[in-house]
Amino acid sequence: MIASVFYFLSFVSIFFAVMVVVSKNPVHSVLYLILTFFSIAGHYLLLNAQFLALVHIVVYAGAIMVLFLFVIMLLNLNAATEPVKSSLMKFAGAIAGGSLMLVLIAVLSKINSIQPAHEVNTQIGLIKNLGKILFTEYNLPFEVASILFLVAMIGTVILAKKNPHTS
Amino acid sequence: MNISDWLTLRIEIALAVFILLQLIIKIFDLIRSNETWLRLNIAITFLIVLLGFTGNDSGSLFGGMFISTSFIIIEKTILAFATLLVLMQSYNWLKHHQHTPEFFMLLLTALLGMFLMLSANNILLFYLGLEMATIPVAALANFDLDKQRSSEAGMKMILSSAFSSGMLLFGISIFYGITGTLTISSWQEILRPGGLEVLALIFIMTGFGFKISLVPFHLWTADVYEGSPVSITAFLSVVSKGAVSFALARFLFNGVIMMQEFWVEILFLLSIITMTVGNLFAMRQTNIKRFLAFSTVAQAGYILLGLAGDPVNAPTSVVYFILVYMFSNLAALGVVEIVSFATQKEDLDDYKGFYNSNKKLAIVLMLALFSLAGIPPTAGFFGKLFLFTSGIHSASVVWLLFASLNLVVSLYYYMRLVRMMFSENNEKPLASIQSPLLSNIALIICSAGILFIGIFGGLYDYLHQLAK
Amino acid sequence: MNTILSIVPIQYYIILSAILFSIGVMGVLTRSNAIIIFMSVEIMLNSVNLLLAAFSTYHNDAAGQIFVFFIMAVAAAEVAVGLAIIVMIYRNINTIDIYNLNKLKG
Repeated sequence: MIASVFYFLSFVSIFFAVMVVVSKNPVHSVLYLILTFFSIAGHYLLLNAQFLALVHIVVYAGAIMVLFLFVIMLLNLNAATEPVKSSLMKFAGAIAGGSLMLVLIAVLSKINSIQPAHEVNTQIGLIKNLGKILFTEYNLPFEVASILFLVAMIGTVILAKKNPHTS
Repeated sequence: MNISDWLTLRIEIALAVFILLQLIIKIFDLIRSNETWLRLNIAITFLIVLLGFTGNDSGSLFGGMFISTSFIIIEKTILAFATLLVLMQSYNWLKHHQHTPEFFMLLLTALLGMFLMLSANNILLFYLGLEMATIPVAALANFDLDKQRSSEAGMKMILSSAFSSGMLLFGISIFYGITGTLTISSWQEILRPGGLEVLALIFIMTGFGFKISLVPFHLWTADVYEGSPVSITAFLSVVSKGAVSFALARFLFNGVIMMQEFWVEILFLLSIITMTVGNLFAMRQTNIKRFLAFSTVAQAGYILLGLAGDPVNAPTSVVYFILVYMFSNLAALGVVEIVSFATQKEDLDDYKGFYNSNKKLAIVLMLALFSLAGIPPTAGFFGKLFLFTSGIHSASVVWLLFASLNLVVSLYYYMRLVRMMFSENNEKPLASIQSPLLSNIALIICSAGILFIGIFGGLYDYLHQLAK
Repeated sequence: MNTILSIVPIQYYIILSAILFSIGVMGVLTRSNAIIIFMSVEIMLNSVNLLLAAFSTYHNDAAGQIFVFFIMAVAAAEVAVGLAIIVMIYRNINTIDIYNLNKLKG
């Protein structure tokens, strides 16, 4: 039964990811991407990475996609603004991506050399355990990420501010 | 953590504290004039450079995540010194810019990210440092806010860096899957050549290739270098490229050394294509910033040749070459900045007869071009010499032959510009430019570096000693 | 107790992640709308996140999941800066089709 949940979620992720790339209207693409993110959050729940699933939905579907939607609405994009481009480029891109997929599947499906861990602890995805490791072993990247956020904020504000002198 | 741990982290802590202090100063409006901001930041960067000379302790902190050796501290000092020169050269442009304080915060954060990337023994800290070094620079590439080509440069930069991060992460995740750990030095013991490892290595080299602008990942380089302000071009071409070259040397020799036969082959192919395409395209350019961009693409090919050495000579030769290349490139871009700020002209044809109107600037540019071409006795010759002698260890004869032929080809376009400056006449000559004091000091330092570093032979032996 | 990897072998997760990654790459190479290119990069990063989480369960090591956090954080920062640049480009040339970014050719 759980295997069929996995297959269903995989099918949903792949289908909606293809719809993101293929659809003409950017707003539709954003909505399909949100559905993709929900299905990937379902995958995280199957792997018992509970905190990861929650943070994934909050950050990706809740913050990043809302930002995308704001920008699309701000720029007033609809399907009419994307002109028909030469299909040779699209064909070449599709061939390139398709061959990448074939090569990856061919190599990656033959792994027998990775040894799994012997003891199985299903509790590593819980908030308490992840929090313990994040704040003890991975303290330095945590602090560094805060400076990264600060700087991204500064950069964004500088770039997106409407300049009253030059407009 | 005791006192010695804090002291090992002194450079990063100092830099982070100064960035946050500047933010507070800006919020409370304590400093209002751009000149004071400029002087403050030049002083801060100078202090960071000095901190690199104090004490040579090594250590590993945070459970092996952050390591610091004397060699890494020298690499960091070189990057900080390059940032200092870039800041000194951009004095005129920043004096009248309306977002000067934010420029410094973004630039210093990029430098902090590079420091963390160099000291990282854990691939997570490495990735964070890499992103912290590219996201602010993508925002900075857009800093000529009213020019359309600057926005275009920023767009190309952010798209390329996002795509390359995706590729790099895929390779890293496969390595994590094979080894079960994120610590780079323990990958050395677990990784053995195999199909899956080679695939992951190719993805990681793709990610690195975008950042060092190897061919065929170089397409963003010329447009971004041409569109961004000249200071950011200087920062990108010297500091960013240098930091990622150092990180690549560390990664190849400390992480995947067991797969050396494979990655030498990959480097061989990339190096040959990079040198050839870089040189061929540089010959066709008419804009001086694009010209210098393609010349830096070709220089990256020589760096790959140097990486084909043994674990002691290769990082040493790369560090020495980046030091020399820093002086040459900053001298060339410094002159371009002075000319571009004063006259807004950036075509190669405008440099005809440059010597007649600005004697000193023309001589500095000539020295820089000689050093980039590798003509003795400038330091560029010694830099390339050490790269070649390091590469002989594993490089095939075909590779060395290609590299030598490309050296000769590159002479053509460098000497063509020198000849244009000295002997051709111009209908619309450039006016005699009065360059500001700080730019002059920066150009004098660069010229002294070009002339004297090659002759002062003890530097290479010192680096060699540290790399053991 | 067992994890899902006793029911669904790790190869299936790797194949799923590879398919999603190549869909993302196809999106970046094929589309010309800058926002859709960004979204395809997000698909690529999500496929890497899924792979890391699967390997983390396989090796019983929480480091993979911690890495996923940080990738999410960095992706958020990158998207913020990227969208700001897109807004600036739109103000200048009134379109975000990347084939129109050709002033720097030559």
